[in-house]
Amino acid sequence: MSGELRTMNYEQRTLRSVRVAIFFLSLVIGAFAALAGRCFYLQYFKNGYFLDVCLKQQEGLLPLKPQRGVILDCRGRVLAASNKIHTIFAEPRVIKDPKSTSTDLASIVDMGAHEICKLIMDGKNPGFVKIKADADVNQCSAAGKIYGVGVWSDWLRLYPMGYLAAHVVGFTSVDNRGLGGIELQYDKEIRGSAAEDVFLADVYRRPVRPKQQNGILADGVGIILTLDTTIQEFAREALIKQYKDYQAESAIAIVAEPKSGAILALVSLPDFDPADARSTDPNNFRNRAITDQFEPGSIIKPVVAAIAVDAGVVNKVEKIFCENGSYSGKGFGRIGEYRQGFGDLTVREILINSSNIGMAKIGQRVGRDRLYEGLALFGFGRKAGIDLPGEADGLLRPAREWTGYSVTRVPFGQEISVTAIQLLRAFCILANGGHAVRPYLVKAMVGNEGQIIKLKQPTPPVGYVIKPEVARWIVTDAMVGVVNEGTGKRAKLEKWQVFGKTGTANIARSDQKGYSEDDYIASFVAGAPVEDPAIIVLVSIRKPNKRLGKGYTGGAVAAPVAAEIVEKALTYLEKRGGGDW
Amino acid sequence: MRFPFRFVFVVFCFAAILIFAAYLRGAGNRVFYKLWSINTEESRLKQQLWQKQLQLESLINPAAISERLGE
Repeated sequence: MSGELRTMNYEQRTLRSVRVAIFFLSLVIGAFAALAGRCFYLQYFKNGYFLDVCLKQQEGLLPLKPQRGVILDCRGRVLAASNKIHTIFAEPRVIKDPKSTSTDLASIVDMGAHEICKLIMDGKNPGFVKIKADADVNQCSAAGKIYGVGVWSDWLRLYPMGYLAAHVVGFTSVDNRGLGGIELQYDKEIRGSAAEDVFLADVYRRPVRPKQQNGILADGVGIILTLDTTIQEFAREALIKQYKDYQAESAIAIVAEPKSGAILALVSLPDFDPADARSTDPNNFRNRAITDQFEPGSIIKPVVAAIAVDAGVVNKVEKIFCENGSYSGKGFGRIGEYRQGFGDLTVREILINSSNIGMAKIGQRVGRDRLYEGLALFGFGRKAGIDLPGEADGLLRPAREWTGYSVTRVPFGQEISVTAIQLLRAFCILANGGHAVRPYLVKAMVGNEGQIIKLKQPTPPVGYVIKPEVARWIVTDAMVGVVNEGTGKRAKLEKWQVFGKTGTANIARSDQKGYSEDDYIASFVAGAPVEDPAIIVLVSIRKPNKRLGKGYTGGAVAAPVAAEIVEKALTYLEKRGGGDW
Repeated sequence: MRFPFRFVFVVFCFAAILIFAAYLRGAGNRVFYKLWSINTEESRLKQQLWQKQLQLESLINPAAISERLGE
């Protein structure tokens, strides 16, 4: 009996154990089945969603900004270049304890903790507050480890020469877009093309696999100018001294190679520092050598004389009666001289003495149509075509609008409006034997590997604006006479024979008719050596202060500046061994 | 008694191979990251050299020399 009872109890316990086991096994199977179902659901139904989340987490995007191309002078000196700078910034919206972050950061960036805290708390942008610009590698590395602090890298445009060639080089905006000068004119070539690097990153955001690149990264091309910064410095130094001494409103100086039209120097005052363009008076951005139009006055006389001799209406030896200082007639009013009156003068003497009446009579002989055509051939009334933005056309009214006044006034530089670059071109034509030239600044464009993309080839002379013998005579005889005997004596040099012409132009009144008696533009154009002109220099100073009593004429104000530039430039070019434009 | 040692050895080798395979799987990523770091460093050094050159240019350009001569 007891044996049967034991057996029955054992069977009951066994059955209970099996049931418990089955129960727990069912739970386990059920759990696994649920997991399997969940896996199936995630993998099949939610695949797309989690793939997106995964890609967003794993993908990294790195914008690749191209390096802006360099701008060099003809000797390879850097005028403008870009360099990468690293900026340490804070992200206020994720910083829970600004004081603690500031304390950690203070020792790294060598700034006061209080100052950093103030920047973080007062920052208008909750995502970016600049703490330190141009940080070094160690500072960046240490700062990046602090939560809420990051490092931003960007290109910074640098101008090592500062004021020196500001108007030629131009300047850029904060987002590296050209806003003036060569920076603007060739912005498309200089700025390069950006790209985006897409890669896969690990949990620490380290790139582990490339994915794709959107766009092609290409750094900007380099630009080599015809400018020589040594000559530019000579020009600026001489000009700025006179500009300040005479308290002038503005001044310009241009130096060019007459055979090719290559610009060796171009100075416009007042100028600015391209690195500090944001705090500059916007008026200073004007490149007055190409934007400012003015009545040139007597400085244009050699051009008109050349047109007249070339047309055969006057010859080199005949004398023209200059009415002893007062010339009037029907249709052209009364013309006087600046100083004394003259009797009979040759064309050479008219230029040496800068006789207005002599030029008026020459203009009458040439006639309206030929005079207009001649001036148009010399490039007046249209852009010179220099590769800088903002060039003005000047004003040469069509011949049909000319009156008797025009035919007599234009020859001595009134009723015509020119820019300095147009004047310079005209004298380059005279100096190089009558060949047309176009002033230019860009010598070559160079790619990132040093390959030449574009090279300005010297163009062979084709055709003449005026006959070579006429041009030679005007330069070697008449304009040399101006410097040796006439109004340009202050441009005389010992070592080289300089040729030139002065100009003292009245400035028209803005409030009423007629010209101001106090405001002048003093100009001088010079070239040397006369045997084979290597350079042409144009200096123009607007509104020298007459009340200082130091003079106001082209011969007094502008000629000494031109002489100084010519002397220094030729000495330098001699030592340098000439140029290959 | 040899049986447990052989079993342990097989399991050990198998585990080692699996670990090595997992390590190799990430080798490409490590190499890519190393390459990326080296390229970044090279770029940084180039920029540093360029910065030195620009500093030198700002010291020896005609404007700077003229200013120093004037002083």
